[in-house]
Amino acid sequence: MDPVTAMYVAQGMHGLAYGMILFLLASGLTLIFGMMGILNLAHATFFMLSAYLCYQVIAWTGSFWLALLIAPIVTGIIGVLLERFLLRKVHAFGHIGELILTVGVSLVILESVKVFWGTESLPVQIPNVLQGLVTAGGLDYPIYRLFIIGLSLVILIVLMLILYKTRLGMVVRAAVSDADMVDALGINVPLVFMLVFGVGTWMAGVAGVAIAPILTVFPGLADQVGMDAFIVVVVGGFGSLGGALLVAIICGLLNSYGVQFVSQLAPVLMYIFMAIVLVFKPMGLFGERE
Amino acid sequence: MMNKMLKWILWLAGFVFLILYPKLFGIYYSNVFVTFAIFALYATSYNLLLGYTGLLSFGHAMFFGTGAYGTALALTHISGFPLIPALLAGALAAAILALILCPIMVRVGGTAFAMLHLAFGGLMYVLALKLRHITGGEDGIGGFDIPPFSIPGIVSFDMTDPLQFFYFAMVVLIGSIWILWFFTKTPFGQIMIAVRDNAKRVDYLGFRVPQTKAVIYVFSGAFCGVAGAVYALFQNLISAEDGFHVMTSFAPIMLTMVGGIGSFFGPIFGSAIFGILEELTTRYTERVELVFGLVLIFVIMFAPMGFVGTVKMIKEKWFTRQGV
Amino acid sequence: MNILETQGLYHDFSGLKVLFDVNLQVEPGERHAIIGPNGAGKTTLFNLITGTYKPSRGNVVFKEKDITGAGPWKILRQGMGRSFQITSTFDRMTAFQNIRLAVMSTRGIRFNMFRKVDKMQNVTEEAEEILKRINLDGERDIQAGNLSYGKHRSLEISMALATNPDLVMLDEPTAGMSKDETHYAVELIRRLTEGKTTVIIEHDMDVVFSLADRITVLHHGTILATGEPCDIRDNQAVKDAYLGEMGGEEDVCY
Repeated sequence: MDPVTAMYVAQGMHGLAYGMILFLLASGLTLIFGMMGILNLAHATFFMLSAYLCYQVIAWTGSFWLALLIAPIVTGIIGVLLERFLLRKVHAFGHIGELILTVGVSLVILESVKVFWGTESLPVQIPNVLQGLVTAGGLDYPIYRLFIIGLSLVILIVLMLILYKTRLGMVVRAAVSDADMVDALGINVPLVFMLVFGVGTWMAGVAGVAIAPILTVFPGLADQVGMDAFIVVVVGGFGSLGGALLVAIICGLLNSYGVQFVSQLAPVLMYIFMAIVLVFKPMGLFGERE
Repeated sequence: MMNKMLKWILWLAGFVFLILYPKLFGIYYSNVFVTFAIFALYATSYNLLLGYTGLLSFGHAMFFGTGAYGTALALTHISGFPLIPALLAGALAAAILALILCPIMVRVGGTAFAMLHLAFGGLMYVLALKLRHITGGEDGIGGFDIPPFSIPGIVSFDMTDPLQFFYFAMVVLIGSIWILWFFTKTPFGQIMIAVRDNAKRVDYLGFRVPQTKAVIYVFSGAFCGVAGAVYALFQNLISAEDGFHVMTSFAPIMLTMVGGIGSFFGPIFGSAIFGILEELTTRYTERVELVFGLVLIFVIMFAPMGFVGTVKMIKEKWFTRQGV
Repeated sequence: MNILETQGLYHDFSGLKVLFDVNLQVEPGERHAIIGPNGAGKTTLFNLITGTYKPSRGNVVFKEKDITGAGPWKILRQGMGRSFQITSTFDRMTAFQNIRLAVMSTRGIRFNMFRKVDKMQNVTEEAEEILKRINLDGERDIQAGNLSYGKHRSLEISMALATNPDLVMLDEPTAGMSKDETHYAVELIRRLTEGKTTVIIEHDMDVVFSLADRITVLHHGTILATGEPCDIRDNQAVKDAYLGEMGGEEDVCY
């Protein structure tokens, strides 16, 4: 086995896995933005919260699988509550109010997390089944990365099926492209909003659990990964799922190969990529809406 | 005539208060006051965009940080660099950054404007962290010599003395806020307000909207830079965290929202409120930002016009009741 | 010599032809009305002339200068003012401040950041004088958005005139006004545009016939007829297009 090829493959797997996690996080952001026209600045905080919940569930039950089930659901419920009881109330005051509200919520969550769990980074063990490598075609693949890619693909496919094959999905897509029209069709938009918000935060939660064993759990998670997901949304174009997927993968790969070749400056690569795209297309690659 | 007298008396009272402040409250509270004034200037310059032109930016920390790093770098690398040029170096660095960005920024509005700033602000943060040999990474740049404020042959003030720095900072910060206030009263300031109200009609009155926005943008950036420069001098340290972090970008938005978005003095009240809040909460808890978050949620939910707006509303209610 | 000419103007919105070979000619000093059924392309023609859009083909010539595709700000500085069908003032600024902006523009006060605008006596005086002329001096410090409909419309029209243009383009100045308000607005326009070249889009035929020196009829994106009010009234093609909608006072064509 040629070590150079092995290195490329390993980095590629890391990049792909990170890209898929970014997609899980970014797709929620972009869906919520597309539907409601607001950027949920608390989105990454939900992601971090879910990583902590994952740590806590494992600490109580010892089961990663249970954590993977429970943490995102709890996160999603908190997201729904935020939409229902806070965001909806301030909708009338315009976008700036909504944005600042999500900033407030993210501060409260971030600080609460520090109160409950402290600021040290906490380790999360992956179950034995997912440890180690599989060998195929003379190359080694880390199982956990494969698992993340697989899990994200399943979520992506289910999401696509719902969006493109069900009536609900049709309503959501219509709402993303034209919220007024859906209102005119007599559909309960607030309910759909709440649902999308819930699903979006749930996906952020899944991403949070997925990242926990890789990066460990610490308050800075929201900043570190959140900013990357944010770049994905901006570059992909607000409201564009396809754009989010494509750019998430590009960013994941940029990140992992960047670490290999320019190590220190790897995070800068993503920003440069973003700057180049935005200079030519201020609304992102696939974005049209203002 | 009475009004003019009253105005002068108020000015004089404010002036005397500031002179006596360090004597009355001591050095600790003088430093608290300097911090408040720095953020007041930062938020006021920011509000030139948000409140007056209607542009929401999520990345103004890049101007604050660039101003701070500009001054810090100038003082670190050029020995014997005087105080005022160092301050101007910071402001100039921020203005140049704004000048570079404004061709992109004036083309977009609304959400795209906000997001582009968040993105470029993030870029500056990462650069400040990663270009270690220039910026010092996480540690930042600190310990540079603070030159005295001197007019050669006449007078020299030692800026490492907190009391003398207090007076210097007040002159710079309040002077800057006054310039911004004056700016809103000039013909150009009128055009600026008109752009917020109805950019299309401004075009049809023979004023060029993108150029107007660009000038305001650079102006706002430069004065955020002044705030950053004073901050660097005050702390004798600037780090990526303080200078460029996303929370530094959100700070002026929070101050403006809490103080009152539609008014020139709103952001100043906002800084005062947050300054007092921080003073009070740090006595009991380390989680100051938890309190900030709760206050923010409370204000958005129940007093979306902020302090100034709410006071105005109460005043109007009071007067109508008196009238009846 | 025409002050304004459009030469073979074409415009389409994503394939849809809106204007088709329009050759409008406006003579100096006249009040020229553009009429035509809804969707005839009147406002689009205005937008092409005042620089909102660039025409697909053809030229706009103003004071013997080609201004095709120049931005609204540039065209205004050449001396062409415009008002809007949907009132477009600075609603959170006072009536006085609205007019003052127009006065500033005329005097070339743009990037001045070194003097308070309140201290500019001559600007203030001119703006106040204009307010007096349009009977808005009582509403000097009321926000434009809070003015009554009729007064708000007067402000809209006056802003176009306050820049002291050589040619003023009024897009349905009496839109949405009551009978009394319309009567008042017509008198106002007549008074303010005295001796000024005016192009006016109007639906109300009473207004058209009482104000206009010449009329151009636009129909399906092209010019059907141009002429003096009597000729237009008697024009068979116009009658057919309008199906006898033309009202107006009979005594115009004695």
